[in-house]
Amino acid sequence: MTETTRADRVWGVVTAYAEALGVPVSLRSLCQAAAARLPVSAVAVSVRSGRVVSEVLCASGSLSRELEELQLTVGEGPSLQVLVGGPLVLVGDLDCAESQARWPLFVPAAVQAGARALFALPLRVGVIRVGVFILYADHPGQLPAEELAEAWVFAEFARRLVLDEQAGIGTPEGYPVDWLSDSRPEVHQATGMISVQLGVGIAEAFSRLRARAFTEGRPLSTVAAEVVARRRRFDPDHTAREGV
Amino acid sequence: MADDRLTRTFVELADTLVAGFDVVEFLHMLVDRCMELLDVSAAGLLLGDSHDQLRVMASSAENIHLLELFQLQNHDGPCLDCYLTGEPISHPDLRVAADRWPMFAPAATESGFRTVHAVPMRLRSQVIGALNLFHTEPNALAPEVTQIGQAMADVATIGLIQERALHHQHVLVDQLQTALDSRVIIEQAKGIIAERHGIDPGAAFTLMRVYARNHGQRLTEFAAAIIDGTTAITKFLPSAPAATPGV
Repeated sequence: MTETTRADRVWGVVTAYAEALGVPVSLRSLCQAAAARLPVSAVAVSVRSGRVVSEVLCASGSLSRELEELQLTVGEGPSLQVLVGGPLVLVGDLDCAESQARWPLFVPAAVQAGARALFALPLRVGVIRVGVFILYADHPGQLPAEELAEAWVFAEFARRLVLDEQAGIGTPEGYPVDWLSDSRPEVHQATGMISVQLGVGIAEAFSRLRARAFTEGRPLSTVAAEVVARRRRFDPDHTAREGV
Repeated sequence: MADDRLTRTFVELADTLVAGFDVVEFLHMLVDRCMELLDVSAAGLLLGDSHDQLRVMASSAENIHLLELFQLQNHDGPCLDCYLTGEPISHPDLRVAADRWPMFAPAATESGFRTVHAVPMRLRSQVIGALNLFHTEPNALAPEVTQIGQAMADVATIGLIQERALHHQHVLVDQLQTALDSRVIIEQAKGIIAERHGIDPGAAFTLMRVYARNHGQRLTEFAAAIIDGTTAITKFLPSAPAATPGV
């Protein structure tokens, strides 16, 4: 990448923030970096956890954790809506009748806590519902176009960190677009194939594929291409074997 | 004659837009029509994601070499140039284009292509992707071909972005993201079908399209049902084509 793309810029912000704190890049430092960079006051990542609908994985401050947990308590809210498969939720004005009608229990408490706008972005890989990346602002107003686009990129990095954690992969050293890239079709085809080979769900299959690429230190797309070309199978005993 | 077909194509595409369509199926139909209407050897439609990476949404053949050729253009190539500048980009002979596109030109030549053309998918001032056309002969894309190509790219843009819903930038971002996500769902389902029935992903895709169309189901919803295990795919196995070796 020679010129600066939005992804480069955002990744630069994420790594600089972690460096300034003297910690490796993590979900926590990423949420904090997003809250500092974007015109919002708090950022959280919640995921589906087994049959429990939501678990707050990380939050940039007490407000976001409080509001995420509030949704669990009252059983409604934007994050829950996204976690069960809804589209993104962008509410520029939380303190209004329309928002109240949408979430009658959540909104009054959220407004009370100081939230005036929220933006919940789904974290997904095809049918895999990984989680939700939610930003809370203490002032009303939609995110401007460029900030929204940056929020999507932050969410994309958050998605990868959540997936890494689930696959037991360590914190990425460099720009994760290289060998963690999952934008290529063979990665998703291989995921489908592995789910049949192992008799597991698609999310589990994706996790196994990523873990395998990581432990071998090889690009995800290369390992995936081998699976698609049937030069490699995944066996239910957790090992991948060469040849067929 | 060509004009008649063109008119019919646009009417058909307009109908699809009204009828409530599946975005991936729609884009594939559009690429299929490109192949019929335009004298081209291969066509593909690419969208930019939030990382500004170009991702293939539809391609005239689901073969790995062609897909690779589209994907390669995240490094260099006419699609990348077109996406970055918003201008149509052509080259009449890829054999002498290695200076311009050091990775793409040799790979495309190797695959047997000589002429290349990329037209932007543009929404107002924003470029959201590109339509890529290939021909195996040099100097093979007439001006009217590129004009029609641009018209097709415009239809694709309109199909992707439902203008009347587009009051805000966030709707655009959401619709693009949803389109990219649909494609991922279909790839996951292709893998499942390919593995279950010992066929290659390209053949699995053809099966899915035929089945979804015959049953009046949206392609992406059908793919999601395959992944959920709520659709018995054995139902359409008898018509399954044999695996194509080496693809």
